[in-house]
Amino acid sequence: MATSGTASSFRTSVSASSRLTHLRSSPFKVPNFTPLPSSRSHSFSVSCTIAKDPTFLMAEAEKTKAAGSDPTLWKRPDSFGRFGKFGGKYVPETLMHALSELETAFYSLATDDDFQRELAGILKDYVGRESPLYFAERLTEHYRRENGEGPLIYLKREDLNHTGAHKINNAVAQALLAKRLGKKRIIAETGAGQHGVATATVCARFGLQCIIYMGAQDMERQALNVFRMRLLGAEVRGVHSGTATLKDATSEAIRDWVTNVETTHYILGSVAGPHPYPMMVRDFHAVIGKETRRQAMEKWGGKPDVLVACVGGGSNAMGLFHEFVDDTEVRMIGVEAAGFGLDSGKHAATLTKGDVGVLHGAMSYLLQDDDGQIIEPHSISAGLDYPGVGPEHSFLKDMGRAEYYSVTDEEALEAFKRVSRLEGIIPALETSHALAHLEKLCPTLPDGARVVLNFSGRGDKDVQTAIKYLEV
Amino acid sequence: MRCSSSVVDGDRSEDGDGRGGEVEIRDEKTWASLSRGGEEMRYREEDERHHRVSNVLRTSDPPLGSVPTRTDESQFLRGDGNGRFGRFGGKFVPETLISPLRDLEDEFNFVLNDHEFQEELTTALRDYVGRETPVYFAGRLTEHYKNISQTTGGGPEIYLKREDLSHCGSHKINNALGQAMIARRLGCKRVVAATGAGQQGVATAAACAKFSMECTVFMGTADIEKQSSNVLSMKLLGAQVKSVEGTFKDASSEAIRNWVGNLETTYYLSGTVVGPHPSPLMVREFQSVIGKETRRQAKQLWGGKPDVLVACVGSGSNALGLFHEFLGDEDVRLVGVEAAGLGLDSGKHSATLAVGDVGVYHGSMSYLLQDDQGQILKPHSIGVGLEYPGVGPEISFLKESGRAEFYTATGQEAVQACMLLSRLEGIIPALEASHALAFLDKLVPTLRDGAKVVVNCSGRGDKDLDTLIQRGMPSSLC
Repeated sequence: MATSGTASSFRTSVSASSRLTHLRSSPFKVPNFTPLPSSRSHSFSVSCTIAKDPTFLMAEAEKTKAAGSDPTLWKRPDSFGRFGKFGGKYVPETLMHALSELETAFYSLATDDDFQRELAGILKDYVGRESPLYFAERLTEHYRRENGEGPLIYLKREDLNHTGAHKINNAVAQALLAKRLGKKRIIAETGAGQHGVATATVCARFGLQCIIYMGAQDMERQALNVFRMRLLGAEVRGVHSGTATLKDATSEAIRDWVTNVETTHYILGSVAGPHPYPMMVRDFHAVIGKETRRQAMEKWGGKPDVLVACVGGGSNAMGLFHEFVDDTEVRMIGVEAAGFGLDSGKHAATLTKGDVGVLHGAMSYLLQDDDGQIIEPHSISAGLDYPGVGPEHSFLKDMGRAEYYSVTDEEALEAFKRVSRLEGIIPALETSHALAHLEKLCPTLPDGARVVLNFSGRGDKDVQTAIKYLEV
Repeated sequence: MRCSSSVVDGDRSEDGDGRGGEVEIRDEKTWASLSRGGEEMRYREEDERHHRVSNVLRTSDPPLGSVPTRTDESQFLRGDGNGRFGRFGGKFVPETLISPLRDLEDEFNFVLNDHEFQEELTTALRDYVGRETPVYFAGRLTEHYKNISQTTGGGPEIYLKREDLSHCGSHKINNALGQAMIARRLGCKRVVAATGAGQQGVATAAACAKFSMECTVFMGTADIEKQSSNVLSMKLLGAQVKSVEGTFKDASSEAIRNWVGNLETTYYLSGTVVGPHPSPLMVREFQSVIGKETRRQAKQLWGGKPDVLVACVGSGSNALGLFHEFLGDEDVRLVGVEAAGLGLDSGKHSATLAVGDVGVYHGSMSYLLQDDQGQILKPHSIGVGLEYPGVGPEISFLKESGRAEFYTATGQEAVQACMLLSRLEGIIPALEASHALAFLDKLVPTLRDGAKVVVNCSGRGDKDLDTLIQRGMPSSLC
């Protein structure tokens, strides 16, 4: 396959400037490498700013520019797993085979009727799909202007899924895929625990061994989720290196995968990571957008005018957007976490304040300082607390197909309270970011514009946190 | 309601006067018309033994002479005009409440057949609550029972009706929505409710938020401690939470008292199938969507009906919601599971049907846990939603008529069942629903191969994590 040839040239050129020189010398031997010293505080893979695009990339970029504003001509992704210049497979040699195997399996299962039928059945009876498209009457009223005009707000209820968020769509599909590949062991990393719980859930359902890596600090803060995962039969391994948070857990999980790649499947929770993950996770979440198209047609005989979703890694947003990328009249808006404010230095607004680099195996925007060190992000919502973003989002931003904004912790908390009071639905703090953006968006929309907001999760998990800040 | 406050004050008198005797005779006639042959004698004997109508009302009762004899099945299924299910049910309330209850009944009868109301409710159930809830084939649980019994055949098949997937995490919302819509029609600006585990409170608060109504939820201090996350949720949803010394039964009494004191503006949203008519009927009707869906889904899934339906029973709302649709299908077994707490002999349980006696409580006649003096016993269960010393009158009727069977499961067994389902299916059930699941241990070995069992997974267990943590993880999970 032409892929590996050209791809490996990138790996070499990139790893030359990386700090992981020990990997370059022994491509087939799995080293017992120790994590980088904590002052580095970034994952094993390269994080750097590309100063110059190799010629190959230039050709692709130009091709994309030529495709211009016609999304139907875009390759999302191309055969190298690139979305324009973003994406790719920046990983050690030992993982290349596993990734190719995964890619092959994914493509063949896409057309496998048995697999698709089994997956559809599980999504229906186990997860509870399809999730409703709910007309939020009181929220619509809230945004109605003095002259009676205003947009119509619809909520895509991913909060009603089993485990309370969209994450399960992907977890279920990947577990099924792992079973097909004959893998008996599943690993995953988790920050606050939501992805860990979703993974533990599907492993219980499919009878797979499950190991979740979690930063020791996070374990303390999220004791309830740790218990949940153990109740579901998973083993939760605490990671004490680095800052003992998500990034370190990710490194540990990747290390485990490198070591146990024959028996183990790594369930990545978002549209980040090396190809084929961004594509795979997006496609497993694309059911959200597909249902939305059908439901919009049923409800008002048309398409949505605006799609709004919160963006951490970007999975729920891609799940909603993907179906509509080719419909250029549908506006797509992603909302990131501005934490304490974009100027505070304590936020997670990757697409607004980040630069292009490589993190966790993919080229994308990321929050880094002048030395290419990852900046520790901050958001009140753990799910948005990620210094990177999926490569496809970086692409959609650069192409101008999607717009990205950000919302502070405070604004998110306000929205959390507002929507609970107005609609009787407690949103996850992540989702609250998307809901908060409606305050700025709705006054600009024409009368009758139909907004579909991805209600990506329920807020039961955030009630304790929110109460501390809110006057209830 | 005066009757409950009298209970609290310990002011109950044994009913040994003529009125009691009248009730007995009339009930025998009623029973005679419904009995099936040889059972007639048995019920009369039981009537005498169980008859201890602790009727505390000093004020007037509704005239009992108006209990009609019932011969047709539709009334058997729906209760008669006075809200009686056999000898159970009724409207044991002070005069002041008769009129509002009648208004409520009229409104309810109207909306049952009102196309606009039904359409709005159906849309809300679909788009807001997330109905219909799936009937999920629990493959690994089925396999587990097959392996234990070492049968050569396929073993029974276990399905879960996933009420845990509903908005707010339990079946309670079905009823809260319907009643909130009625409250709105009645022009009430304010809703009061009582809650045990908090699920009813959260569901009511959510429905009130959606329909922009004020909401006050009464909750026992003991329960507030155990289910703190639900308390916070209620507050976030805009409800006021008022604590009442004690548990659910005390919170209920206080909520009703609050309602009586504010009849002009306030609607009492009953969360379960107890209380004076029309509450038991109304709540059951709103919950019956569970059974209606199940019938349709069973047909789709295996082209038939369920063989056995299993549900936990606190007051009986989720059980009746599942059972009611199938009352007329004699070939469908109905199994209710109550909380045996620390064991039936311990005195710390909520097994009303197992060891209770007939009496009047919170406005209706039904089985209840009472001592020799007719004092209400304090119930106990690890599943807070099951912790009620009474039970719905329709449930009592189903027990006495033999249409449904009732058993119990201890708290320990429920915890085990919760852990088993979590590990085998990745579903963490509420501790209440876990009682129903616990009973499968005894039930499944008695069933034939291929028997279809549908268990009502009435709620999810997120609210119970703290309780489970306190119990500690057992060293070997079965």
